[in-house]
Amino acid sequence: MKQLIQEISDGVMNGDAATVTAKVQQALQAGIEASRILNEGMISTMAEVGRLFEEGEYFVPEMLISARAMQAGLGLLKPYLVESNIQSTGKVAIGTVKGDLHDIGKNLVAMMMEGAGFEVIDLGNDVSPDKFVAAVRDSGAQIIAMSALLTTTMPAMTTTIQALQAAGLRDQVKVIIGGAPITQEYAEKIGADGFAPDASRAVSIAKSLVQA
Amino acid sequence: MKHRDRVLTALSHETPDRCPMQVSFTPEFAARLSQEVEIGAGKLHNPHGGGNTYELERHLDEDMLLTSVGWANWYYQEADSYLDEWGIGWRSVAYDTPYGPGRYTEFDHHPLAEDGAIENYQPPDPTNPELYKEAEWVLQNFKDEYWIVGVTVTTIFECAWALRGYERMLTDFALNPDLAERILDLPYHYHLAAAKKLTQMGVDMIWIGDDVGAQHAMLISPKMWRRFLKPRMANFIAELKAINPQVKVAYHSDGCIYPIIPDLIEIGLDVLNPVQPASMDPVRLKREYGDRLCFWGSIDEQHTLPFGSAADVRAEVRSRIETLGKHGGLILGPTHHVQLDTPMENFWAMINTITATPYPIT
Repeated sequence: MKQLIQEISDGVMNGDAATVTAKVQQALQAGIEASRILNEGMISTMAEVGRLFEEGEYFVPEMLISARAMQAGLGLLKPYLVESNIQSTGKVAIGTVKGDLHDIGKNLVAMMMEGAGFEVIDLGNDVSPDKFVAAVRDSGAQIIAMSALLTTTMPAMTTTIQALQAAGLRDQVKVIIGGAPITQEYAEKIGADGFAPDASRAVSIAKSLVQA
Repeated sequence: MKHRDRVLTALSHETPDRCPMQVSFTPEFAARLSQEVEIGAGKLHNPHGGGNTYELERHLDEDMLLTSVGWANWYYQEADSYLDEWGIGWRSVAYDTPYGPGRYTEFDHHPLAEDGAIENYQPPDPTNPELYKEAEWVLQNFKDEYWIVGVTVTTIFECAWALRGYERMLTDFALNPDLAERILDLPYHYHLAAAKKLTQMGVDMIWIGDDVGAQHAMLISPKMWRRFLKPRMANFIAELKAINPQVKVAYHSDGCIYPIIPDLIEIGLDVLNPVQPASMDPVRLKREYGDRLCFWGSIDEQHTLPFGSAADVRAEVRSRIETLGKHGGLILGPTHHVQLDTPMENFWAMINTITATPYPIT
């Protein structure tokens, strides 16, 4: 059993989706609980991937292939997790803001959040304030995560926060932001609850916000 | 001092009368500027979303004139959706600023998205004489006075990932390296042919570029860069210098690329652009590499120009001249095209501080 979990973990670490798929199937057939495969084979491994990224050992390609391998395994686990009513770490609605199509940073954050056990609602790119508001209203997301690459689209973060206020939803949701020109100072200025300089640290902030 | 002498002096690590300047703008900012200085907007010529006209550049007293051949010229070609000659699909995305609306052109179709698509793919022809008409005109009319730069940015990686799709290309580096090599070769050969032709025609500098830096780290590992991009760039530079040993080569990458700067120097790079100060410390760059490398850019387009005050801009320009530009070695300008969200007083603070600050700075 331990061996299989280790092989799943190694598969995620090396971005080997085929191995992860095969070993997750084997593990399920062997009767290992889906929650154990998730926690020990994937979530802890993605945390390690995040740590290596923060430390400059992993870069975007390595993180992408690890996340894809994790997603391949997670796809197989999902029906079992639902069946045994395993709770997610939290619910995050994520998107690149209106006017901005740059989504690799947003996608990495979404994948790392998923890899940390969050339920992720990916709203895509060019997401209007109304769409963020609707996502909070309809899905009950506890966190809104917004990304912007451009200085000309950063102001859409402010308008989205204002739209959440106008809809009476601001108190129900935490707002975190990121993207190349975004700083902690900017997050404070526009009344966001958190800022992260990379995908790994976005996960840490999201975790601390849902636990708060 | 003649514009071209000012640049050549700075690139020879000596101090000219003032720091040389090169500034580019988005088409929307260019239109706003044209109105303000009452110079009719001529034909837009700069690559990669730039909206420069030679009239505006000369009016501002810029020292380098650019002429571009390559895929980057496909930015801003149509108002709606269009397909370029590489088969890459584009569309416009609108944004609003306090100074009016603008748009960026972004790509949304990648002709090599399918693994097998490369087998039947024909890249465009870089020998078409039409491509070099503008360069010929610029050289004929302005080379006596200005430093002429032949531009072939988006040289290898950027054009390759536009062909393949960004995340697909990045995962290819890790999982499908042979396919990655084949895709990289398409823009590499095209832009090399263009850069060689421009060098033969007599440009003073070739500007190549591929964004491989994120805000605080490289996008891909230095090891991956050394495997896929360094050998191609090394050969690219060597072939240009074989044609004209005096030609300078500038390289553009946004973001943080500290780990590969020694490699770039090793393969013959002369000038690093754009030196994004929020990503790399200009003082550190000058201290570590200033004796072997020149710099171009460095005025912050992410924070100071759009969101700072005119006094912040003036202070930043003076600080750069004192540090990055100490003993020459610097061409000043924004780290990207000046965007429409930039207040006009900040723009003029940059231009006027550069042109009115003589060397040595006191």
